[in-house]
Amino acid sequence: MPKHDAIIIGGGHNGLVCAAYLARAGRKVLVLERRERIGGAAVTEEVFPGFRFSVFSYVVSLLRPEIIRELDLPRHGLHILPLESTLTPLPNSDYLAQWNDHDQNRRELARHSLRDAEAYDEFGLMLHQMARAVKPLLAMAPPDPTSLSFRELLGMKRLGEYFKSLRKEHFYRLTKLLTMSSADFLDEWFETEALKATKSASGIIGTLLGPRSPGTAYVLLHHYMGELDGVFRAWGFAKGGNGSVSAAIAAAARAAGAEIRTSAPVAQILVKWGRAIGVVLENGEEIRAKLVVSGADPRRTFMQLVGEKHLPAPFVESIRRFRFRGSSAKVNLALGELPDFTCLPGRGPHLRGAISISPSVAYLERAYDDAKYGEVSRQPYMDIVIPSLIDPEMAPPGKHVMSIFVQYAPYHVNGGWTDARREALGDTVIDTLSQYAPNLKNAILHRQVVTPADIERIVGLAEGNIFQGELSLQQMFFLRPVPAWAKYRTPLRGLYQCGAGTHPGGGVMGASGRNAALQILGTA
Amino acid sequence: MNRAIVIGGGSDALVAAQVLARAGREVMVIESRGSSLEEGWVPPQVLRELKIEGLELDWPDPWLTVPLAGGGRLELRRDMARSVEAIRRLSTRDAERWPEFCERMARLARFLEALYAAPPPDPLGPGFALRARRLGRRGLADLLRILPMPVAELLDDWFESDALKGALGAAGVLHLLQGPRSGGTAFRLLHHHAGSPRGVFRPPRSNILELLRKLPRVELQGTEVLRIAVEGGAVTGVVLKDGRELAASLVVSSVDPRRCLLELVEPGWLDPELVRALRHVRRRGVAARIRLQLDRSPGFSALALAPSLDYLERAYDDAKHGRVSQHPYLEARCDESHRMEVLAQYVPYGADCRDFSESIVALLGEQWGDAQPQHVEFLAPRELEEFEGWPQGQPHHAELSLDQALWMRPVPELAHYRTPIEGLWLCGPAMHPGAGIAGAAGLHCAHAILGR
Repeated sequence: MPKHDAIIIGGGHNGLVCAAYLARAGRKVLVLERRERIGGAAVTEEVFPGFRFSVFSYVVSLLRPEIIRELDLPRHGLHILPLESTLTPLPNSDYLAQWNDHDQNRRELARHSLRDAEAYDEFGLMLHQMARAVKPLLAMAPPDPTSLSFRELLGMKRLGEYFKSLRKEHFYRLTKLLTMSSADFLDEWFETEALKATKSASGIIGTLLGPRSPGTAYVLLHHYMGELDGVFRAWGFAKGGNGSVSAAIAAAARAAGAEIRTSAPVAQILVKWGRAIGVVLENGEEIRAKLVVSGADPRRTFMQLVGEKHLPAPFVESIRRFRFRGSSAKVNLALGELPDFTCLPGRGPHLRGAISISPSVAYLERAYDDAKYGEVSRQPYMDIVIPSLIDPEMAPPGKHVMSIFVQYAPYHVNGGWTDARREALGDTVIDTLSQYAPNLKNAILHRQVVTPADIERIVGLAEGNIFQGELSLQQMFFLRPVPAWAKYRTPLRGLYQCGAGTHPGGGVMGASGRNAALQILGTA
Repeated sequence: MNRAIVIGGGSDALVAAQVLARAGREVMVIESRGSSLEEGWVPPQVLRELKIEGLELDWPDPWLTVPLAGGGRLELRRDMARSVEAIRRLSTRDAERWPEFCERMARLARFLEALYAAPPPDPLGPGFALRARRLGRRGLADLLRILPMPVAELLDDWFESDALKGALGAAGVLHLLQGPRSGGTAFRLLHHHAGSPRGVFRPPRSNILELLRKLPRVELQGTEVLRIAVEGGAVTGVVLKDGRELAASLVVSSVDPRRCLLELVEPGWLDPELVRALRHVRRRGVAARIRLQLDRSPGFSALALAPSLDYLERAYDDAKHGRVSQHPYLEARCDESHRMEVLAQYVPYGADCRDFSESIVALLGEQWGDAQPQHVEFLAPRELEEFEGWPQGQPHHAELSLDQALWMRPVPELAHYRTPIEGLWLCGPAMHPGAGIAGAAGLHCAHAILGR
């Protein structure tokens, strides 16, 4: 008899969530992480002495509240600090700010457009309704619409009944939202370009699509589904960086009895008679278990760890067609002083929130145009935060860390990623940002540039896609990662998936890990 | 007062008028201009219901000629084996995949045909689910995956030849302000495929309008409707351009819904939410039309100039930023008397089109050899709006994107042809299935009116 009930491949947040739930149910769980640290893309690293960065993912919002509650994460060290605002600096030295404070926000919007200020609340309410309509689906193992088995038919029937229980207008709005582009969707509500652009940017994150491409409105909603303390669209920082999210989940898993091994790269999933029976590590060590759960992305799991020969041909074909196309990069800066924005000089509350370089929808589309043909955007979209202002322990006293999410930096860049290209990307980002904050160049002490190729190499995400696979309509819900295999199961008995390549997808959400565990335990 | 008035002269309006007349209504059709929309597939239900005979389909063979970059042409024919041979010269892998691709797309097209033969489906209804099930396991998986896809991804899944992918991809963006890398364009390709045999991805032209106009029982009036009169929430008639007022208890409009409900009717009659939804129906014309006469045969009957998906995408990039495509995609058809009609995409509404017509004729000139063009007529979307009555030059009245299709066409509240104004109904290209499918929206609308 194998010593372990389940081996979990990958100590990313989903793998850890899955481990925690299995361990809590009394299973003997072993988590195997390739790197020397746990967390996957949710890690905090001291990249430069004294400067700590959430190297990859950098904010928290999508983490499911039921996971925080059920795993009692605050007790295990999770502490979330709120992000209060979003600032969009404009090329004409003006700006658009969105504040959490209702009245302040309304005054600011009215400065740009009275109509938009009027529409804002109604828009928020509508998105709230949509998020509520989708929320139950997040915790669901999607039924297989192509199957005729009783169980799946029943699942489809329940799904149909759920949609029927929604108000008709809500259902229609949802179907429109699923099929629209985020820019068209926002055009229906607002007229201020910077507002539309900043909001529609949520719809392009992690995809190689522009804001005018249908399907992006759903991604916008996906990013809106973050709940903190019951408030939708609340974003925050984990104190200590995103690594502390992983650490808290790992602590919960360990407390429940899970074993976590780092520097234990899995080379192969052992298959015998159509069943996964364990794994082989790169050093040749064989570990057997009743179940293997892979938190790696579908391509790595099936094409690399399992191998085509153990899988049915149509399944392999579908996995090959699953699209990754990483499109985003990160630039992490150690700063000697705070950036000074021309539009809002000096230190102020605006620096404590997010800063979005998205002056217009056309700007985002132009950024996308470059990427479509394999180039880094000449003027990229950026989402910037300065965690050291909220959590001073991230940088030495008086100094700061800045995290810049950059899009588009396509994985499939013409000529491939090289050191020179990486540095050129860094320069592009700094040059673009300096147009809004001219002191930036002189404030930089150190710079780290993380390309999609780096994300793939370091974290293991295929093509550097931050969602373990594009979150497009044809790769969602019962199609994620492939039709008929969206229930965390695989064609091999004893092998499950728990990564973001399964429903409901990426962001530091944890839902895939939880759903997978509940499927395995048969309590979903 | 039992009179019914049908506004518009397209196939939907005429079919609706005929069905109502056959049910005993006195029907008058008011058309300001003869429709010259290229009518595509005529669903058999329309022919059966009106007992129309003598339908002639103009289906060129090869149905598409594609000029190749290195000289020579790819000719796609109805005969599968000959198409395979033609494709083999570009890529043996693509040639081997062509029959299966055609088979799988045809299966989905048959599914769409069934949906188009009826009013918009209820996505949650048992009928829709059962019909989808009948596609089989792989068919259903294909459907769910392909409908929201960019046509470029679909084609990249199957083929490697740029020429083949460009020519097929073009059908995915026709009359859409989207590029082949935009979501929902694979659906557009399937829509285009509906009604065509396996392996043919261009709809036929037909003489359906001519046949419909010859049918008796319906009075045709050549004038324009200025206003639809409404009293107490119910339609009372129409006011014509010449000042005449015609009383009617039933008005069926094939005018685009946005204009019909926001301009022909006092918008005060409508719920503000509906007014807002209507204002956001997207109906941007993107194609210019060139008609010309050649003095001899150009050597093809249907030609697509879209050498690759990137070429199409770049053409779209220009339009997205408000400019005419520097390198447009062209779709040309030529009849036996060498009359040619060309669609040039993308030409955004109101964009500056100076010298564009000449550049298109020059581009085509490379394809038609020694033939000489005469009587070149160029109409940009703005002129098409004026002469053809297409809103912003969009012949489909509402762009056929996924969020404006099926039960969302043109907006969910109006998808079942009925309007909140009693006695006012909608048919026309903006209604399901619309967009180049002749007469079906008219048929479903009339059936809804008659309670069938």
